[in-house]
Amino acid sequence: MQIEKMLSEHKLLKEFKYDLKPIEKGYSNRTLYINLSDNTIESKPVTQFMKDKFVGGKGFGLYKLWNAVKPDTKWDDPENEIIMAPGPVCGITQYPGSGKTLVVSISPLTDQVIDSNVGGYVGPFIKFSGWDAVEIQGKAERDVIVIIDGNDGTVRIEEAPLEAIDGHVLGEQLTEMYAKDEDDRRNIAVVTAGTAAENTLIGLLNFTFFDTRRKKARLKQAGRGGIGTVFRNKNVKGVVVRFAGTNGNMNNVDDISPINAAGIRIHKQIDKLDDQQCRMRQIGTANIVEVMDAYDLLPTHNYQYGSHKDTVKINSHTFIKNYLKQNTPDGCWYGCSLSCAKAADDFVLESGPYKGDKVLVDGPEYETAAGCGSNIGLFDAHAILELNFYCDTYGIDTISFGTLTAFLMECYERGIINKEITGGLELTFGNKWAAYDLIHQMSRGEGFGKIAGQGIKRMKVLFAEQYGADINFLNDIGMEQKGLEYSEYMSKESLAQQGGYGLTNKGPQHDEAWLIFMDMVNNQIPTFEDKAEALHYFPMFRTWFGLCGFCKLPWNDTTPESNATADEPAKMPEHVQNYINIFNGVTGLNIDGTELIRQSERVYNFQRIFNIRLGKGLRVHDATPYRSAGPVTKEEYLSREERYDGQLVELIGLDPTSMSLEEKIAETRKYRENQYEMLTDAVYKRRGWTMNGVPTIEKLKDLGIDLPELLEVVKKHL
Amino acid sequence: MIKVNNNDFPFEEELSISDILKAKKYMDHMIIVKVNDLFIRKEDYPTKRIKDGDDVKVIHLFGGG
Amino acid sequence: MKVLKVAIEKCISCGACEEKCSTLYKKENSKDKSCIHINPRNGGRLINVCNQCGRCIDVCQTQALKRDASGIVRIDPKRCVGCLICVGFCPTYSMRQHDDYLVPFKCISCGQCVKVCEQGALVL
Repeated sequence: MQIEKMLSEHKLLKEFKYDLKPIEKGYSNRTLYINLSDNTIESKPVTQFMKDKFVGGKGFGLYKLWNAVKPDTKWDDPENEIIMAPGPVCGITQYPGSGKTLVVSISPLTDQVIDSNVGGYVGPFIKFSGWDAVEIQGKAERDVIVIIDGNDGTVRIEEAPLEAIDGHVLGEQLTEMYAKDEDDRRNIAVVTAGTAAENTLIGLLNFTFFDTRRKKARLKQAGRGGIGTVFRNKNVKGVVVRFAGTNGNMNNVDDISPINAAGIRIHKQIDKLDDQQCRMRQIGTANIVEVMDAYDLLPTHNYQYGSHKDTVKINSHTFIKNYLKQNTPDGCWYGCSLSCAKAADDFVLESGPYKGDKVLVDGPEYETAAGCGSNIGLFDAHAILELNFYCDTYGIDTISFGTLTAFLMECYERGIINKEITGGLELTFGNKWAAYDLIHQMSRGEGFGKIAGQGIKRMKVLFAEQYGADINFLNDIGMEQKGLEYSEYMSKESLAQQGGYGLTNKGPQHDEAWLIFMDMVNNQIPTFEDKAEALHYFPMFRTWFGLCGFCKLPWNDTTPESNATADEPAKMPEHVQNYINIFNGVTGLNIDGTELIRQSERVYNFQRIFNIRLGKGLRVHDATPYRSAGPVTKEEYLSREERYDGQLVELIGLDPTSMSLEEKIAETRKYRENQYEMLTDAVYKRRGWTMNGVPTIEKLKDLGIDLPELLEVVKKHL
Repeated sequence: MIKVNNNDFPFEEELSISDILKAKKYMDHMIIVKVNDLFIRKEDYPTKRIKDGDDVKVIHLFGGG
Repeated sequence: MKVLKVAIEKCISCGACEEKCSTLYKKENSKDKSCIHINPRNGGRLINVCNQCGRCIDVCQTQALKRDASGIVRIDPKRCVGCLICVGFCPTYSMRQHDDYLVPFKCISCGQCVKVCEQGALVL
C-alpha cells in the first residue's frame, strides 16, 4: 500500500507545540504526558526531588507510574500507563551501550510493576526532542499513532487506520512516512508492537534504529512483561520520534573529558580483546550457547536438562556460518563498539502470512536461541530464526514464548494435555511446525495459541480446573514466578541464581543478577552471607544502569586487562570507575561507588513498596517453582545421579545406597527448599527488609526515602 | 591433595594447569588462573607445574546474560 | 594516492610540522591539536601519522568517513556523531581526538608540513 494513501486516511486528533530547549547536563527537565482518552498533551516539570531520589530512567518511570495509578489499578484500566524514560546519560555517543531506555507499566502477566530495558534510537531521540520521559495514559477510541518531532517541537496524536500492525512492516512504513527524504530515515525511530500482542499477555514493544548500510529499520525489544499488550490495549499502533542533528554532546554535559577518555579506552580494549573474549562483534549474545552447553547449563526440554548432543546445530559458529553473513557488526545506538546486534539477511520464511518473503531477522540473541531452541528441543537454526522473526513482528517476547512452549511440550509429552485439547497441535519437543502453528494462532487470536498466550501462570490453573491436571506437579514444572516466565538459564544447581531469579522485583528475569558462574563454577560465594552480599550488590549495581540509560553488556561482556590483578574481578572495577566518571561527567554530580549503590537502592526499595501497594511484593511472592531449584522427576534425578547422590552424602549426611529413588528425590527436595528459605532470610536481612520482605522504616530513613506515602504502605506490614 | 576453587582435587606428579582445565572440563578462554594467589599467564598453562597442597583458583570472567 | 611518508632517520624532533598542522587547522600551536605527532622514544622519536589504510571507514556507524577522489580518507563533520570508535579502532593510533572538538581529525595529506620540514624528513 502506498504511504500517501495511508497518510491520506490520517485524522489529526490533537497537536501540541512546545519550545525547543537545550538539554542541561543530561536532563531536559520536563516530561511529556499524553492521555489518549481525552487527547490531553502536556508538559510536566522534572523536579529536583525527582532527580535526587530517582535519578532518571526507571526511577522517573516508577515515580510517574506510582502517581498515576491506584492500589487496585489493573493493567487494562485506562489509568495504567506506559512510561518510556531515557535517563540522564542516555544519548551520549562516546561510550558503548549508552542509548538505552527504560519502559515501565503494570504488567498483564504479573499484575505488578514491570520494567524493561531496550535499545534502538527511540530513547535518545525522545531525550533530544526535549523529554526526560513520555507517559501514555488512557485509551484511544480507534488505532492511533503518536508523532514527536524534536526539530519542529510538536507532538501529534493521529488516527491511523490503514497502517500495518506487525512490527517489521509498520516500522518501515512509519520510517518512510515521516522521513523528509531517504537520508533522513536515520533520524526516525519507531515504537511498535504487533498482532500477537493484541491476543496474548506476552506482548512486547519493538524500538527501531535505522540501519544505513542495509537501508532497513532494525528492531530491538522491550521484551519482558507484556508491555506490548498494554500498548495495543490502549489502541496505540506506533509512536514515531523524529530528531535530526545528533552530535557528540547533545546532553550538554558538565565535563566531556572523562567521557571521551573512558570511551576511547574501552573502544581500544574491545578492538584488541573482543575476538578472544566473548566475540560480541562477531555473534553477539549467542556466543554463550556452546558455553552453557559445555557447563551443563543450557535449558533443555523445559529446564529438565542442561545439555544436548545436538547443540552444535544451534551454536554460535553455525549461525555465523549459515545465516549471519554480512560481517558488519551493528550497534543499536551510536558509539557502541561492542555492536552485539546481529542480523540474518534475506532469510526466507517457511511458514505463516509472510511465507516465502525474504526478510531481515534481528537475532538471534542467546535467550532466543535457548528459549526457542534447546528449551523446546528445537535444535534447528532456521526454525529458531523463524520463531525469532515472528515473535518480533507479532510483538511477543521470545523468552516467554519459549518458556511457555517448553512447558506445554512437557505437559503434552506427559499426557497432561493432548491433541484434542490443543486442537490438533502435536506439541512434542522439537516439533517446529507445532511451534509455528502456535505462534500464528497467537497472531490471529484463535485456537490453542490464544490459550497459550495467557502465560504459564494462567494455564496451570486452567489445566488443573478443566482437565484435572495435578496442580502440584504443574507448579513444580511450570517455570514462572510472580506470573512472569523464567529467562533461559538453569538455576537448578546454583542457589545464588535461584535467589537471583526469585528475589527480584519484577519476576525471574536475569537483569538483576547473573551469578551462576560465580557461584557454581568459581565457587566464590560459598556461604549464605557471601550469597546475600552478592544478591545485594549485583542487583543494586545492575539496576543502576536502568536509572541512567546504560546497557549492561559493555560492563562485563568485555573484560579489561586490569581485571587480571583486580581484587574483585566479577565486579569489573575498571568499568565501574568508567561508569562513575561518565555519570559525573554528564551531570556534574560527584557520586562514588557507594552513592551509586544508594541511588539504586532508593529506586529498588521504591519498586518493592510499589508492588506491596499493589498487593504483591511479599515473601510469599518470592517462592519459586521446584524445577528451578532441583530435580522434580526421576529422569531429572537420574540424569545427574552421581552429583545428587554425592550431595546427599556430603551436604545432608545421608547414605544414598540405602535409599529408594523416591526417597532420594524427596530428601534432596527438602534440603534444597530449606536452603532457599535460609537464603531468603539472609538476603532480606542484607537488604534491610523484614523477614516478610518488607523494607523497614529504618532502611527507608537511611536512604532518605521515608516519604509519607511509602511509610503508609510498609506500616501495614510491620 | 590440592584445591581447585576451594574444592578438593587429587594431586598427581607433573600436574599442569592445562591438565586441571581438561579434567574439570573448563573452557580455556575468559578465565583467570591463580596459583597461591599468583596470576598465571595463559602461555604458561601447559608448563606451570602444580605442587601438592597448592591453592588453584580458576575464575571464569563470565558475565553471562 | 599521495600519502604522507616519513624518513624518520632525518627527523630532529624540531616540532615544526606539528606547529604548522595545528596552527593551520585548529588555529593554535599545540601538539595535541596536530595531525602528525613526533613522539619521543628512547632518546630518539617515533613519527605517528595516518597512512590512509581506511579501517576507520569500515568501523564508522554513520558512514561519516569516506575516501575522496584522491583516495584520502576524509571525515564529513555533518555525519559524524562523535562516537570516537574510529579513534579507538585505528590500527596505528593516528585518528586524533581532542576534548575541545566533538569530531575527530586526521591527516589529509595536504603537504603543508612537508614544506616546513627543513630536514626533508617528510615527503608526499
